[in-house]
Amino acid sequence: MNTNLFGLALLLVIGLAYPFVLPGYLTVGITMLLFIGWATSWDILGGWAGQVSLGHSFFVGLGAYFVALGQSRYGLAPWWSIMLAILAAAALAYVWGRITFGLRGPYFALSTIAFAEIFRLIAINEKWLTGGATGVFIASLPEPFGIDLFSRWTQYYLALAFALITVGIVALISTRRFGYQLRAVREDENSAMASGIDPTAVKLKAFMLSGALTAVGGGIYGIFLSFLEPHVLFYLLLSVQIALTAIIGGRGTVWGPAAGAVLLILSGEVFRTTFAQANLLIYGMLILAIVLFLPRGILGEVSRRLVRRRYARSAKS
Amino acid sequence: MPEVLRAERLTVRFGGVTAVDHVDLKLADRDILGLIGPNGAGKTTLFNALTGFVRPDEGTVFMFGREVTHLAPFQRARDGMGRTFQTDRPFEELTVLENVLIPTFLKHPSRRSAEHIARGVLDEVGLSDRADQPAMDLNLARRRRLELARALAIEPRILFLDEIMAGLNPPALREMIAFVRKLREKGLAILMVEHIMEAIIELCDHVIVLANGEKIAEGAPQQVVADSRVVEAYLGTD
Repeated sequence: MNTNLFGLALLLVIGLAYPFVLPGYLTVGITMLLFIGWATSWDILGGWAGQVSLGHSFFVGLGAYFVALGQSRYGLAPWWSIMLAILAAAALAYVWGRITFGLRGPYFALSTIAFAEIFRLIAINEKWLTGGATGVFIASLPEPFGIDLFSRWTQYYLALAFALITVGIVALISTRRFGYQLRAVREDENSAMASGIDPTAVKLKAFMLSGALTAVGGGIYGIFLSFLEPHVLFYLLLSVQIALTAIIGGRGTVWGPAAGAVLLILSGEVFRTTFAQANLLIYGMLILAIVLFLPRGILGEVSRRLVRRRYARSAKS
Repeated sequence: MPEVLRAERLTVRFGGVTAVDHVDLKLADRDILGLIGPNGAGKTTLFNALTGFVRPDEGTVFMFGREVTHLAPFQRARDGMGRTFQTDRPFEELTVLENVLIPTFLKHPSRRSAEHIARGVLDEVGLSDRADQPAMDLNLARRRRLELARALAIEPRILFLDEIMAGLNPPALREMIAFVRKLREKGLAILMVEHIMEAIIELCDHVIVLANGEKIAEGAPQQVVADSRVVEAYLGTD
């Protein structure tokens, strides 16, 4: 817990200083922070509870659309629409989980693709609800305490708060009962049941929390984009990116998804500027190398070694 | 003595095969009931039907006088039914202490008290020095003890032991027998599936013999092993 607290403080300090040091790279910073938050939220379900979702772009889209439609149609301030999005995300996660948690292994992952696809099609076709394929535009936003929500600086700090909150929640969960229930369900559902744990209930809670947090980031992303199109927001590629970020960084570790986000966004940015056309090739090779040589992800391998070393040291003394 | 577990006409079928065929059994408080029989007799299936991991097709199960036939395994665990698994299934990625923490959380939601109690359980089974070791690195004898520690950590009143003696070397076997005896003295009712006759004869008050899913004999261990039907079931007839 102490290392987690230290990590959060470090993230806070670096996060606060970043825009002053690199004011020209605010967009990269926002993207990185959003991915820290999304991958960390994804990991509650995908890493800690072991239920891989490839539909999390749905929750991103949900948050973004709630903010945009709330503002443009009903004049609802973003903080209210984000709260509604949290409730809607949790409710839909509950319904989807009830239907699909009977499925184990790859079938749950496949079902989440279908889930996000259904909502992408709704967003494209139900013009009256979502503005259809042409999208929605956020023309104006309230200015609480004179803060301009269209400013990249504001959006940056909102994204920072989102990243800190998600990592903070996971750090808190990781040492407590709920965190261990999640791990138990991931490791062995029969043993979990013998320990008095209801696996379905635990997975549902994880899915609801994961989806609700992702939607919060989606709301911030909506403000950041200010113009929403269904095929950007409900896109399978975004779901895959979120999952990949957590997997590369280390599933089921507090800081793995954050590390994955920093590495992938940063290298994506660097490769694009230095390797021009070859950037995706290099990016793909990096991912391949990590998956091959560090199958538990970067921090997954590190934490395993730490556990072993700590035990070896305690056994010697 | 008050009865803690009772099954009536319990039957489990897999397709056309009747794995457990109308079996009755009773387990009294502080009793050790042994379940023996040749391979494929239906012992593990009966065990799973009693613990809720397999749905019986017929019959009823009562725990402390209350019907639990259709309760899920985790609900039975909450009511005080602890079990080990034949192929021990620790939470491989977690440390020994964390493995025991998980069931301990059932009765002790706060981390601090759960950790305190879990360390006590580890002490009891002699795994204290392994607390921080990843469970996947344990040898067979220690995995068995971990399996037992996890079952005890829910603070059960009935304990189901599925072949916890199998594969242990003689000293480890002696230790395990002594440990099970101590558990009974602490007030647990125990149902054990076991192949090691030495353990059955030393520990059990009653024994039930299954063959082809049916109960073919019942009684005190010495008397049951001398039963001609039991010998026949194990060795076959000419």
